[in-house]
Amino acid sequence: MSDPVNIRALAPGTRVALADGAVAEIVSNPADGVWLFARYLEAPRDPALVGQEEMIFAQDVIGVA
Amino acid sequence: MSAAYRPGLVDLATGQVSREIFVNEEIYAEEQEKIFARAWLFVGHESQIPNPGDYVVSCMGEESVILCRDRTGQIHVFLNSCRHRGMKVCRYDEGNAAVFTCPYHGWSYGTDGRLVGVPYFREAYHSRLDRTQWGLVEVAQLCNYKGAIWATWDTEAPPFAEYLGEFTRYLDLQLDGWDGREGQAEVLCGVQKWLVPCNWKFPAENFSGDTYHNISHRSVDLAGIGPSGASRRDLGERNVSRKLHVCMPDRGHQTIHYILPKGELPPPAYQNAPIVAEYFRHCEEEKRRRLGDMARLVGAPGEIFPNTALLSRQPRTMAAWHPRGSHQTECWRWFFVDKDAPSEVKNFLRDYYIRYSGPAGMTEQDDMENWNYAHAASRGTIARRYPYNYEQGAGTAVANYEYQGLRVPGEVIDITDVQSSEQPARNFYRRWAEFMAADSWDRLATWRQAQPQAAE
Repeated sequence: MSDPVNIRALAPGTRVALADGAVAEIVSNPADGVWLFARYLEAPRDPALVGQEEMIFAQDVIGVA
Repeated sequence: MSAAYRPGLVDLATGQVSREIFVNEEIYAEEQEKIFARAWLFVGHESQIPNPGDYVVSCMGEESVILCRDRTGQIHVFLNSCRHRGMKVCRYDEGNAAVFTCPYHGWSYGTDGRLVGVPYFREAYHSRLDRTQWGLVEVAQLCNYKGAIWATWDTEAPPFAEYLGEFTRYLDLQLDGWDGREGQAEVLCGVQKWLVPCNWKFPAENFSGDTYHNISHRSVDLAGIGPSGASRRDLGERNVSRKLHVCMPDRGHQTIHYILPKGELPPPAYQNAPIVAEYFRHCEEEKRRRLGDMARLVGAPGEIFPNTALLSRQPRTMAAWHPRGSHQTECWRWFFVDKDAPSEVKNFLRDYYIRYSGPAGMTEQDDMENWNYAHAASRGTIARRYPYNYEQGAGTAVANYEYQGLRVPGEVIDITDVQSSEQPARNFYRRWAEFMAADSWDRLATWRQAQPQAAE
């Protein structure tokens, strides 16, 4: 576990590290404190996700990459 | 048909209505299912959500709903309740959003209602949840009528235009431009919202066309509540027009309105504001040119069943009476102007509207006092044994009313000389009893049975 990241403060373009080891780049931030829209750059557990844009749950974000 | 619903509660033959329908909590609960889950309800106006992603939170009966414009510009009305555990997914009055996210567990919905975000969808749900089945609950039918957004939860309800019938012309007075152009209205500023400790039917009945309670407003008339700062707001048209009560007996809609004599323009009402006076003089001329004889109609308080009040003549405003238990009503009031009216006109009217209507308006404060204490004094065990009296003007309504070549639809009582009738209230409670008794729209849409069958 790590301290929670205030994802509302993260701007588009920021790269975030996820709990499953993936790294994603923020595309847009609805600023609801729950979700980010981000594109996967690395996804060691599921390489098929790389390049895809997904909604990233705040609890999955462990830090800024 | 009213006799089928708990006989004696609404007795139109004797003009009596039981106090139970205002104070009885079982009846209130039944109203939510039989009236508010079936009728067309006013939700808001498109000018409140001009851009993609814009939303306002509104109400349909007791239900919180989101009126929003999705990314493609389409307007939706959704139940404001997460499909997972029911939490409100939107807790702001208005704004712009890409998604509506439930703060409880994080389910997230697009502005088109689709479920787009489910936390741990792959991990905890193993990607098996069918997200297409768990979007926000959307109303069964929505109608954008000249910018006003109406909705119903009932798939079987007739289309909105049919629900209105010939009452359309009175809603048009509200939404069309002062110069007669179609659908020029926009909401001025925000929606005023306040609570009154009374049953929702008190304001609904009052706005159906109660002219008998004008004594309540005598003090504000003496103080000069009219737009020119003198007398009543409608003194001008009252002095030259026929004043009518008009009821749609098969729909439950009713209104007061005036008909000007042929060739007569409404008397000036803005003598103390030359720019405003000149604007309205020009608009009246244009309206007469565009609409001809129909421009002789002048709007006044009315009610679209069940809980939407109209007032198209100044102050130009609509209200919804949202039920909040049998003993409380949440009043919402929208104020309208023509969107391309000069700023001087909008500013003048904003001040006038606030002075007249809403929780700070002098005239509406009079009404609230009446509804508040009438309700409180009707709740007791003894009080509720005694029905209210609605006999006034019974049996005097006529069909096919006409004044100087202008025919008026529905049942009409000309109250120019008699001052008042309770036909609008009787019409409202007749429809109320029909909704409470009917188990389907086959019994409510009686006008369909009256239409002649097409030849085989």
